[in-house]
Amino acid sequence: MSSSASTIRPATFLALFCLVLASIVLILISQGRQSASADVEARAMHDTLTSQLGLTDLCLATEARYTRHPALTDDLAPFMDYPQALDYFPSGLFWAPP
Amino acid sequence: MREYFEKQLNILDYALSSLWRRRGKNFSVFFVFTLVISLLASFQFLTGSLLDSAQTGLRHAPEITVQRMVAGRQESIPVAYADKIKGIFGVRKVVERVWGYTFNEVTGSNITVMALPHVPKLGQETLGEGGFWVEGEGGGAVIGQGVLQDLDLGNRRSFSFFRPDLTLKSFAVRGIFAPESNILTYDLVITTLDDGRDLFGLDAGVATDLLVEVVNPMEIATIARKISETLPGTRVVTRPQILKTYQAVFSWRSGFAAICLLSALAAFIILAWDKASGMSPEERREISILKILGWQTPDVLMVRFWESFVMALAAFACGTILAYVHIGYFQAQLFRSVMMGWSVLRPGLSFTPAVGGADLLLLFALSVLPYLAATVIPAWRCASVATDSALRG
Repeated sequence: MSSSASTIRPATFLALFCLVLASIVLILISQGRQSASADVEARAMHDTLTSQLGLTDLCLATEARYTRHPALTDDLAPFMDYPQALDYFPSGLFWAPP
Repeated sequence: MREYFEKQLNILDYALSSLWRRRGKNFSVFFVFTLVISLLASFQFLTGSLLDSAQTGLRHAPEITVQRMVAGRQESIPVAYADKIKGIFGVRKVVERVWGYTFNEVTGSNITVMALPHVPKLGQETLGEGGFWVEGEGGGAVIGQGVLQDLDLGNRRSFSFFRPDLTLKSFAVRGIFAPESNILTYDLVITTLDDGRDLFGLDAGVATDLLVEVVNPMEIATIARKISETLPGTRVVTRPQILKTYQAVFSWRSGFAAICLLSALAAFIILAWDKASGMSPEERREISILKILGWQTPDVLMVRFWESFVMALAAFACGTILAYVHIGYFQAQLFRSVMMGWSVLRPGLSFTPAVGGADLLLLFALSVLPYLAATVIPAWRCASVATDSALRG
């Protein structure tokens, strides 16, 4: 520690550091709650859409049919291009097989 | 008791001073450790958020979906199967549906086209523009925001897709889904059943799948089993199975990315072990001097414990905060390219990080505890060195 701060215990700096982190966490929590309340309306809309349109999947990865509709795809779809085919789509790294 | 706390506080002071003396090395360790925890936590928060979106967004998914399988592949299902399903006690309604994909050769995108036998009863809040077609009207479509951009419609409100025989099938845009529904509708084109059959070249007697509505949701599994028995060669997907699929898909245990991140963490822990077990002569001399001054081995260990604990806890806190900011404010930019792969249509999703006590506990157990073990155990071996031999160098 620097000589000018020699009278301050090092643990005080740690406490200050913890206080800063706690403040950041509190700010993030309050903002998270605000966005969660905004999500409530969107979720009601999603309920209407899924029930009326019969939707079964989220639109996340549209590169292959088994990543666009994992719930309705048969287990072998990722390997169906030819015998002994591999799952070569990049999002297959992120998604587990359906 | 007060003496004990006073002693611990003094040891903590000494540990912090020791960390500060070697700040160059310690800051680099802190930086790498924070980064590794941040990546692991980001992955955890992202999959949690996606799972939450699936569980809430798909809780009204069709109760039972019936597909026909031929040689392990999905084929069109005869509409006549609907009559057999209606004969099962407890079935309220069976709806035939035609859907599939069309490839836009200009942009290389896959667009989902879904054809329904009825006009959906959707409120105006689900549509950003226009409305649905009226009963009996053909050629109308409601499209998602991604389709609007992908087809570069601008102010035009008509577009065409190729039929299998390469003739063009035209649609008039009646409505556009609101951007808030992007996670469900971004690549969707909703049209009438006749238009869907016309586009995909399907006969009137077949559909892509059948949606079954049951009277009592508690009987979904029973009715699904009865459908399987009545119609062999079909694949019956229930709503709970859809939700379970997403649980499996988004589970942190599965997926290559989680393995990579855990490997990075393991590599870091091994590095920490290596660094801690190979103490420098200066550190050995420091321990020897402390022991000559009357410190016991447990006291030296306590210093090492506090050093590691402060370092690991600070990295854990900073890494977790960084992960939250990455997912909540930067929309998981680091994982987005892996998650969406070669997708041309990429919905602009906004994630709300789902952080639970279990997630934090898991991250803590995966990062802080191994680091403590990897640094304190080698420190114990070094703390028990013979004082005179260490001082002699």
